[in-house]
Order: sequence, then structure tokens, then C-alpha cells
Amino acid sequence: MNALRDRYAIVGIGETEFSRNSGRTTRALGVEAIRNAMRDAGLTPADVDGMLSYHGNDSTDSPTIAGDLGIRLNFYMDCSGGGSSTEALIGLAIGAIEAGMCRTVAVFRAMNGYTQARIGGTGRQAPVYTGGSIPQAIYGMTSAAQSFAPAFMRHMYEHGTTSEQVAHVKVAHSKHASNNPKAFYKERVTVDDVLSSRWITKPLHLLDCCVETDNGTAVIVTSIERARDLKQHPIHIMGVAGRTTKRKGNYHWSYAPISLHAGQYGGPIVFANAGVGPEDIDITGSYDAFTFTTLFQLEAYGFCKVGEGGEYVSSGIIELGGARPNNPSGGHLCEVYSHGMNMVIENVRQLRGLVDDYCPSWQQGEHTYDYSERGCRQVRDPEITMNLGWASPATGSALILRK
Amino acid sequence: MAEYLGVRVHVPENDPTMLAYLQHAGTHRLTLQRCRDCGLLQYPPGTACEHCTCLDFDWAPVSGKGTIYSYEIVTHPIHPAYRDRVPYPIVLVELDEQRAVPAPDYALRVIATLVDAEGRPEHEERVAIGARVEVAFADLGDGLALPLFRLSDEPPEHALWRYPG
Ligand SMILES: [Zn+2]
Repeated sequence: MNALRDRYAIVGIGETEFSRNSGRTTRALGVEAIRNAMRDAGLTPADVDGMLSYHGNDSTDSPTIAGDLGIRLNFYMDCSGGGSSTEALIGLAIGAIEAGMCRTVAVFRAMNGYTQARIGGTGRQAPVYTGGSIPQAIYGMTSAAQSFAPAFMRHMYEHGTTSEQVAHVKVAHSKHASNNPKAFYKERVTVDDVLSSRWITKPLHLLDCCVETDNGTAVIVTSIERARDLKQHPIHIMGVAGRTTKRKGNYHWSYAPISLHAGQYGGPIVFANAGVGPEDIDITGSYDAFTFTTLFQLEAYGFCKVGEGGEYVSSGIIELGGARPNNPSGGHLCEVYSHGMNMVIENVRQLRGLVDDYCPSWQQGEHTYDYSERGCRQVRDPEITMNLGWASPATGSALILRK
Repeated sequence: MAEYLGVRVHVPENDPTMLAYLQHAGTHRLTLQRCRDCGLLQYPPGTACEHCTCLDFDWAPVSGKGTIYSYEIVTHPIHPAYRDRVPYPIVLVELDEQRAVPAPDYALRVIATLVDAEGRPEHEERVAIGARVEVAFADLGDGLALPLFRLSDEPPEHALWRYPG
């Protein structure tokens, strides 16, 4: 029994508009996201005394954000990282509070992921290859798609996985996004749309890749005692794992199978901490930087057998109305690319029963459960959700939440 | 000045290991770090032996032969150096030496581009998992070279597998 299970909660969530032209600094994006999360929680600046963020030298630091909002900090840390940071930092927030350093922590990510710092690179890199470039970059392997593709190709070879199977991830998430007013891509797509979109790097098509966007996102973590007095029903943090790596996480190619994600190590940790197993999870929130990354995570965390992810993601299980919907918001593929935050925020909304879909009375928690286009995206009475973070095939994090 | 595809290659003096790797490649022998304690090879070059943490290495030439373990065909270039090179294959080559040693799941695997006899990107239809390859070199200047791979005349290690379609 993990002594911290259910002792902490997510009490506030906030985000900015998701766009490809924010016209604002990451400072302004972070400030608005945290302000929205504080208002959501019913907290004032005086109530928040901790801050955590993550960045790739592309954001604004906590003291600046806090200063703008009139927040005086007892603890902050701005960590280097992208994907798989969200879950890990929620764990660190618990640690900071448990250590007595602070009481309530806002975790944020603020990024102009389209107009300033595109994760795949903009072609504006300094024109020099250094020692660190030799193992991969000098060979034209610089973007995330280029760096991950051989792992997926090997999965296809070893397990017979097909492009058509993983295209179903984009199809499912596009259906979900069509019921999400704030999603960047709200149009539903078909398997053929994915397969006929242009190649980025074979085996990945354009529509296998997520939607680079400008955005700010935030969640607020505090103790369950503090949470009980606040505006929203607290969403309990059952367990966290992060950031687990495979052996030689900097060059995982040395160890087989290269097509098995680091969640193979994080799964046992997060499930033991939470006291549940994959069969208890009602909604998964995968890090769908690409279609196939969802498949990798579902296999590694044990939602299906290794090698059977292609069948799992194309079976309808992951769609709204299916047995275990994945990314009901549309995820990174369709809602917004926020380096993991939006899938955690969505799971909080789902557990509250307050998903902001097209149902007329969603703010009262009244949903139609009609998942047709421009309809509902609330899963019926979810009890437990899980987020499956990803930074690469070699690094992952996980987070299990309950109502 | 060393350069590759029109881009300067600058390995600073405080990174003598990576510099030595490229210098050995400059003699057109693929040469890897070999631990002076446990005797095992490793790739890519590092600052300690990944098998035993020893800090001292020799350099050991290897055959440069291997098998394509996985690959991709890049069609959307990112780095400016590759704008005129698409489509180009990136291959993950499993070298013949030290396979499944010291553990069944370990191998010396090298990410590189696959080139033809003229050093241009190899044609997609010739790239396959299971195909045998041998090392080739791109001279960078200043006595340095970058290891690449090209298809060899040897029969495939197992039935060839290509991305369908
Ligand atoms: Zn050694």
C-alpha cells in the first residue's frame, strides 16, 4: 500500500485558446492558463505557493509567471523536458508538498509550439554538427518523426502491424475532437484520409503526426484535506510513475526489442502505487504525438499483449462508446499539442462529469451520450483514468486518477 | 575545416572520444571503443563502458559488416543539409560483432544513412530489413570521415522484409 495514494488531488485545470498564431508570449500564455486554473479551483494567488513547469528553452520561468499573477512562491522548479513531464511533475508536486516545502502547486506548460519553437525543428538550426550530432543528427535524423520511425517499422516487421491499423487512432481521435469545441482540428477523418496523406517519413504519413500548436496549460495540485474546501470535486491522484527509461535511454537501439516502450518499466510502478491494474481503467490518455505511439503505450502498460496493439487500436475499443475510450478530447493528434498536459486535463474533466462538449447543459453535468458529430464526448460515469506519457520509445511516465 | 553536406563538423577538443572515433574512420576502418577492463565493444562512443563503468578504452577495428535491423525513408527534410537529399533512407544496422553479448538483447546497432556506390541516397526499393550491408565512408576533411553503409553482395541474412506498398 502506497501511503500517499489518494492523499493528493488535482483541484484546478486551465488552458488558453489552442492556435497556430497566438500572437502572444509564452509568458502571457502561462499566466492565462494558471489564472484559469485558479479560478476553476476557487483559489486566489495567495493560496498558490508552489510552481512547476517544463520547457525546452522555449518558455517562461515560474518567477516571471508568478510575479505577473501576484503569487509569492515557497517552491518552484522549471525542469527541462517535453513529453512525459506532466505526469512526473504532478508526482514531484506531491513530493514538494509532502516535504513541507509548500502547500499548493501549479504545474504549467506554456509554448508557442507552432510560431516559435517547433519540436520537429524549423530548419533554422545552427549550421554546425558537434560531437553530440554524430550518432544520429548528422545522418538526417533530427525530428521526432525521424527519431521514432525505425522503432515503429520494426514493430510492423515483428508483429505484422499495419499503417491501416494505426490510422484508426487518428480516426478515433478525430471523432472525439469533433465533439470538442476547443479542439484545433474538429473535422472527422477516415482511414483512407490518413493513408492518402503525404509521407513525412515512411512509415509515417502527415496525418499520423500530431498538430503543432501555440498554447498554455495548467493543473493545480494540493492535499486532499485542502482540496475538500475548494470549488470542484477533487480528483484523487492514485499513483504516478515517471520518467522511466529503457536501458540506455539516450540510444535505446542497442537493446531489443526496440519496439517496446519504456512503459514496460513504468507500468508495474504506477499500478502498484495506485493499487489497480489495466482492467480497472475506464479511460486511457495516451501521448499521441503520432498514431503509433498510442499503440506502443497501450502495449507497454499492459492494455493488450505486446504485438497485439494493432488489433486493439483498430477494434473500436478506443473510441467513445467503446470499452475503454482513449483521448476523448482528440489528444495531440486533433485537439492540441501541449506536451502531455491536455490529456491529463481531459481526464480530470471526464472524472468530474463536466466535459465541455456540445451538450446544451454540460455545465450542469447533463450529457446526451450521443457521440455523433458535434455531440457529446462525456464517457458514462468513469471512475478511474490513466495517462500514458511518452517522450520517446525509451522514456515514459504514467498517472492514475480517480473520482 | 571538416564539413559534411555543406555543414561544418566541429567536435571540440574537450570531446576527444568522439574526435578519435571520426579520426579512426578517417583511415576507412570502422573502429569502436573497446573496454580495457571487460574487453567489450560499445556503440555509440561514450565516456564510460556501458557494461562495467570502466573509463579506459582501446580502439578496435571491426569488419564493418552487418544486417539492416530497421529503417525509414525520409521524404520531408528537416535539417537544411538534407533538403536536396530526399527521399533518403536511414537504416539501423546490426553489426556482425558481439551480437547478443553480453546479454541476449544487446547488439551493436548503428544508425546511419544507406548510400549507393556514388554516395547518393540508396533507392527505396533496394532497402529492406534483413539485407546485408557494409560500411562506407564520407570524408569530412581534416583527416576525419563519417561511417555510412551501402548494400553488400552477400545474400540476405533472412527473408527480406520491406514496408508493404
Ligand atoms: Zn567494460
